[in-house]
This record gives sequence, structure tokens and C-alpha cells, in this order.
Amino acid sequence: MTNNEISTNKIQKSDLIKTFWRSFTLEASFSYERMQALGYAFCMIPIFKRLYKTKEQMSEALKRHMDIFNTTPHVVSFIMGISAAMEEQNSNDKNFDSESINSVKVALMGPMAGIGDSFFWGTLRVIAAGIGVSLATKGSILGAILFLLIFNIPHLLVRYYGLFLGYKAGTSILKSASENGIMQKLSKGATIIGLMVVGAMTGTMVAFTTPLNISIGGASVKIQEIFDQILPALLPLSLTFFVYYLVKKGVKTNYILVGLLVFGVLGKMIGIL
Amino acid sequence: MVLKAILIGFITALGYSDYFFGATMVNRPLVLAPLVGLILGDVHTGIIVGASLELIFMGIVSIGSATPPDIVTGSVLGTAFAIISGKGAEVALTLAVPISIIAQLVKMSIYVVRSGINHKADKYAEDGNIKAVERLHYLSFALMTIPMWLLTSISFMLGSKVMTSVLNSIPSVITDGLKVATGFLPALGFALLINMMISKKYAPFFFLGFVLATYLKIPIMGIAILGVIIAILMMSFNGDNKKGVKTND
Repeated sequence: MTNNEISTNKIQKSDLIKTFWRSFTLEASFSYERMQALGYAFCMIPIFKRLYKTKEQMSEALKRHMDIFNTTPHVVSFIMGISAAMEEQNSNDKNFDSESINSVKVALMGPMAGIGDSFFWGTLRVIAAGIGVSLATKGSILGAILFLLIFNIPHLLVRYYGLFLGYKAGTSILKSASENGIMQKLSKGATIIGLMVVGAMTGTMVAFTTPLNISIGGASVKIQEIFDQILPALLPLSLTFFVYYLVKKGVKTNYILVGLLVFGVLGKMIGIL
Repeated sequence: MVLKAILIGFITALGYSDYFFGATMVNRPLVLAPLVGLILGDVHTGIIVGASLELIFMGIVSIGSATPPDIVTGSVLGTAFAIISGKGAEVALTLAVPISIIAQLVKMSIYVVRSGINHKADKYAEDGNIKAVERLHYLSFALMTIPMWLLTSISFMLGSKVMTSVLNSIPSVITDGLKVATGFLPALGFALLINMMISKKYAPFFFLGFVLATYLKIPIMGIAILGVIIAILMMSFNGDNKKGVKTND
């Protein structure tokens, strides 16, 4: 990204940098009705200021971006870059269909949320938390620090370069990306890594054992040892899938939380736990 | 005490500022609990509590339109009461869960007010009034963060004495049981993640991770690296396949 390429256009690099900083605040005004709409308009304001001089133009631009919008916050700058490119086109070309700015935004928010959610929320956060928790349980403050670093280094790179990539490529890159199925491939890859890490954590971080003994012909046998021979972490795995079944059935998370607490207390009282 | 209460509330505000600073994950218990520990002079307990709270709340993220229990106030107050009463992680958990559910209700009502702000913003957008639109964006943020700060500080001041005596009167059968339940709760976090990610085609990868961790005892970092390798291999072989069968299309 050279300064030259951008300065041939109306939008300056400094405008995009302002939008980059503003993009952090995307969800500061989140509401369930419009979601990130007000935040998105807020982030685009430096671009509007450069492009639109009359009150009417400014009003149109602001209204355009007040429609409902929601995507993964970490990847939003990419869409903002594209919006900026389209707004620039709109300000240059009287015949430009300004409706298309919003329809491209809406078309992108789903796929970007799909890949962003599976990568940032589903994969990177889980990996970072897994590593962080494993250190923190030993009492090390490195857990929290590594957690933040592992998550945010990729996050900041994507947020910064995504904006310029989006602006530079405008709409064309997206067509080719979806034709080659790059988005889908990335999202599938993220799912694979995420599931492996969750599988590993289910096996190591859910604590569920039983102290029960049974006596067979006078010899007492620990039930836990039998379980361990069948499959290590059999009980944690079963419990996790039982809860997964409940979640899938639509049982409220709060009820499951309380249910698990009650199960623990009752199980301890009876002596099976 | 008052100073501590204000500072504890500030940690909640810091958690909420995550919405202003780009979802950088400073609102997770893994980060907030050690900070609460720092204020109350027991960083070690803070770290440990943060780890167990993170495991439970791991599956609870605000994706899409569901309002999850408010993990920020839950984690901050839960950790604070656990340290003050000297009862450790299991007490933090039992407190964090109900607190986060109550705080969620407060949060919901603030969201309703925010919708009103959105309508106001529509009017300013109509006028092309940039300054006013920007002001509403900041106001929305303050409207959530400041009440949550106050809520935390006040609960801490009222609660710490009461909580300590209540916690001391709980019979040990129950606290032991809760200690056991602490181990179960991550199952909920993982179940939510599985629900989000799994499909029949990809289910084997979950079990691959499970087996690598339980039988081969590979640390999570190692499993994540293996995951990356497998994902890359899968993608490149899939690509070759498509080229091969293209004539059939």
C-alpha cells in the first residue's frame, strides 16, 4: 500500500486511518433493534467529511448507513473499506446507484460474519483461552497476557490491513473470492481447528469422576478405574454431550447452569461424586 | 472500602469498554479476575478464579442477537466476594452465575433505551448533523458503562459484609458439592461451542482432538498446530479433487 495509489483518489490515507481508529468503537452503541448501525455510520464519518460538502449529501450518506447492520467486529473494517470505495465512486459519478452501497454492505455482512465468527470467536478465542486457562490454573499471570496477545495480534493485523484491502479492491475481489470458494475454504479450515481444540479441552478440562466402589466376591473395585480403561475422560465426554443435547433441544442456558450446580451438590450428598 | 468499591466498579467499566475498544477480549474473566485480585491484594486467587470462570463462560459470547448472562459484572463481583470471604474459586462461581443473570436484566432494559437513541439518531442523520450523531454514539456507550460501574460499586459495598457472613453459614456439604459442580460447568461452555461449530462431516475432528489430548496427552497448543496442518492439507487435497472430477459436471 503506497501513499501514491490512494492520493490519486479523493479519499486520503489519513481518512482511512481515522476510520480504522473509529472502527474499534463499532459496538459502543449496539442495540437489538439496529445492532451496529449507529456505530457503522459513526466509523464512516471521516470518509463522508472528505467526500460530501453539502448538507443534503451528508444527510443522504448518514441515513444510508443507519440501516440494521451486524457482523463480527474484528473483520468489519474490510466492509468499511469497500463502503468507502463505493461512497467515493458515488461522489464522483452522478449516475452511480447509491442503493448498491447498502446492498453490498448487507450482502457482505453475512459471509464476513460467518468467517469472522468461526475464526475469531470460534477458533482464535478458544485456542487463546485454552492456552491462557492452562497457564492460569497454575497461578501464572502469563495466562491472561498470552490470552490477550494470541487473540489480538491477528485481530489488529486483520482490522488494519482489512480496511485497506477492502478499499483498494472495492467490489471486484469479492466476486473472485466467492467464485473460488476462498471464503468457504477458510471457514471450513477454521471449523476443523476449532473442533479439535474443543475436543481436546473437553477431554482435559471438564472434571467429573466418581469415588464409588463395588465389591465383587469380596474384592472392592473402583468404578472410576473401569471407566478409565474403557475410555479416558468417559464421564466428562458423556456429560458434555448430554449438555450439548439439552442446548440443541433449546433448554435455556441458565437452567442448565443451575441444573449442573444442583447435580453437583446432590451427587456429593448421596456420595456418588 | 469506598475507594476499593470505586476501583472494583472501574474494573467492570473496563470490561464494558471492550465495546469501545474493538472486542479485544479485555472483558473476559481470565483478564478481569486478576485485576480484581490486584485491587484486593490477592492476585494469585484472582488468577485461579479467572481461569475457572473462563472455562464456564467460554461458550457464552454475544454472537448475533441473543443476550448472554452478563459475564463482566458476574466475574468481577464473584471474584471480589471470593477473595474477601477467603473461600476461593467455588464461591466465586456460585456467586458469579446468579449475579450475571441479574445484571443481564439490567442490561436488557438499557438496550431498550438504546433503541430510543437510535431513533433520535435517525432524526439527526436526516438533518446531516454529524456532531449530534457522534454525540449519541458516545452517549449510548456511557449509558451502559456508567450504570454498570455504579451497580458493581454499590453491590460490593453493601454485599461484602453480608456475603461473608452468608457464605460462612453455608454447610460444608453444599460447598463441597459446589466444588464438584465447578468441574462440571465447563461442559456447558464446550457444549455451546460444539453446538455452534459441529456438523456430521466435521464431528470426527472433535474426537480427534479428544483422543490426542486424553490418550497421547498432547498440550492444547500442539493440538491447535496439528489442526492448522490438517486444515491446510484438507483444503489443498479438496482443491485437487475438484479439478479431477470437473469433467463430470
